[in-house]
Amino acid sequence: MLEGVDYSLYCLGLAFVFGIMRIINMAHGEFLVLGGYIGYWLLVKWGLNPLLALPLAAAIAAGASFLSYRAFLQRIRTTAELNTLILTFGIGIFLSNLYLQLWSADIRNIGVDWMEKPLKLAGIYISLGEIITFAISFIGVLALHSFLRHTKMGKAIRITAIDRDAATLAGINVERVDLLAFSIGGLLAGLGGPLLGMLSFVSPGTGIHITIKAFILTVLAGVGSIPGLIAAGMILGIGEAMTVTFVSSSYRELFGFVLFLVILLVRPSGLFGKRI
Amino acid sequence: MIALVLFIVVLALPFILSFNPYYLSIFISALILGSVSLAWNLLAGVCGQVSFGHAAFFGIGAYASALLVMKASLNPFLAMGAAAMIGVIGGLIIGIPAFRLRGPYFALSILGFAEVMKLLTLNLTPLTEGSKGIFSIPSLPLIKFGGMTFDFYISRTTNYYLAAALMFAIYLSIYFLRHSNIGLAMSAVHGDEETASGIGVPVFKTKITALTVSAFFTALMGAFYAHYVHFLNPDSAFDGSWSVMPIVGSLFGGIGTLIGPSIGALVITGLDEFVFKRFFETGHKLFFGLLLAVVIVWAPVGLLGKWVKKK
Repeated sequence: MLEGVDYSLYCLGLAFVFGIMRIINMAHGEFLVLGGYIGYWLLVKWGLNPLLALPLAAAIAAGASFLSYRAFLQRIRTTAELNTLILTFGIGIFLSNLYLQLWSADIRNIGVDWMEKPLKLAGIYISLGEIITFAISFIGVLALHSFLRHTKMGKAIRITAIDRDAATLAGINVERVDLLAFSIGGLLAGLGGPLLGMLSFVSPGTGIHITIKAFILTVLAGVGSIPGLIAAGMILGIGEAMTVTFVSSSYRELFGFVLFLVILLVRPSGLFGKRI
Repeated sequence: MIALVLFIVVLALPFILSFNPYYLSIFISALILGSVSLAWNLLAGVCGQVSFGHAAFFGIGAYASALLVMKASLNPFLAMGAAAMIGVIGGLIIGIPAFRLRGPYFALSILGFAEVMKLLTLNLTPLTEGSKGIFSIPSLPLIKFGGMTFDFYISRTTNYYLAAALMFAIYLSIYFLRHSNIGLAMSAVHGDEETASGIGVPVFKTKITALTVSAFFTALMGAFYAHYVHFLNPDSAFDGSWSVMPIVGSLFGGIGTLIGPSIGALVITGLDEFVFKRFFETGHKLFFGLLLAVVIVWAPVGLLGKWVKKK
């Protein structure tokens, strides 16, 4: 269940960009993996303080997504939705194969000693790392939520999401809002990367699975529902854990997908979304 | 016209390569990819529904045909047809829920579908042998026609020409489909779904039709692949390349054209084999990603889009 909340951080960037810009960032998982690799180098190889390493990983992933927006996405923002989908898919392929070329197919786990320390909490043992990743995920989701609710920039982003033309008329630079939103998407992915590296591992092939899972979760929660992500993440986490216990660990991924198809059939607006 | 030129080039290619088995095997995979690209493009280029998971249909076709021959001892040619129909069923399973919504839902659902199919093949060991894979899949039987014998077991050339024949059969089917009423409905759905449904085009049904036809041909090529390489495992049959390469080929060749995708796929396979792999041995696919991004931003009509009139 704690892992479920981490899921919500993994998919936060994708859900956010989709909710605001109606763009599915197919390279989302690759940005996340980039954050994971950076985190691996900083924490494991250089032994940097995590408080410094996490923001750095997030910032580099944000930079990568900033660059891909400026270099490619910006030019076809207004054309068919299909094009942005293929474009980000291409960026994803490029990145994952770049990782493969640079860092080989080895899986990297960020294992740091202090994180393994067990804590006794209400009768069950959990490692410190699990608690910390849980806390970061939870804070990440809440921070984004309140950023959108309470700051001027957040409000500008929300208005742009609702009506681009009206936002332009109100004097909002929608181009900049898009750039900002896409970079925030990268930032959130970059923050999730090291956590994924701590809890399991990152490898060049991880990205696409994360993208799929993030999309499933976004649909489950309902497009545009940021707090719904936490609940949806928990449902997915619990469901997967139960699949592992009662069926088989190899069918773990199947649970999410079947749930996803059922949601599409029964309630396409998601569990917590407004009806489309 | 261009289709005719391509046809002649494909026919003449083995002579140019003086029947070198290594080059022939490269171009057999190129023809398989070319056919899958044509099928992908019917769905994406004509009907406007991008799929990121055609590997699902390819793998389903490959496994279905191999298993039908080995476990039910069906004639391989019959099995290929049956496998293609099973691919259609796969298309319905994913299409019916995913086409209820517009936008990116279908593209991503099918990506997940491909992953799930791979997972199932890995884990249904009694049927599929899991990650070990299926060995010694029988090749297609001998055909004696007039005085000629076509041996699919020994001869690469025979397999090459069968792949070429399949590709052109698929091209012709898609060509006639495109120029029928259903084809018109598909391009109406591509243009504007709301207008299309306003003038009485059954949008959902049209999308499903495009998907099932596309799945049929993709699974058929998967089945051919199984009998041609004699070996399958989940990683090879459901390899992401079967999803990615048709997209790259189609975009490179021209997504708005009917023949462009196959040319694109042939060129891309050649480039990959003789250029990209020389640069980066492990990460050579990064060029595909780059190519996708560059083509979609700066040359969305593709290589042939400028010369072939939009049909």
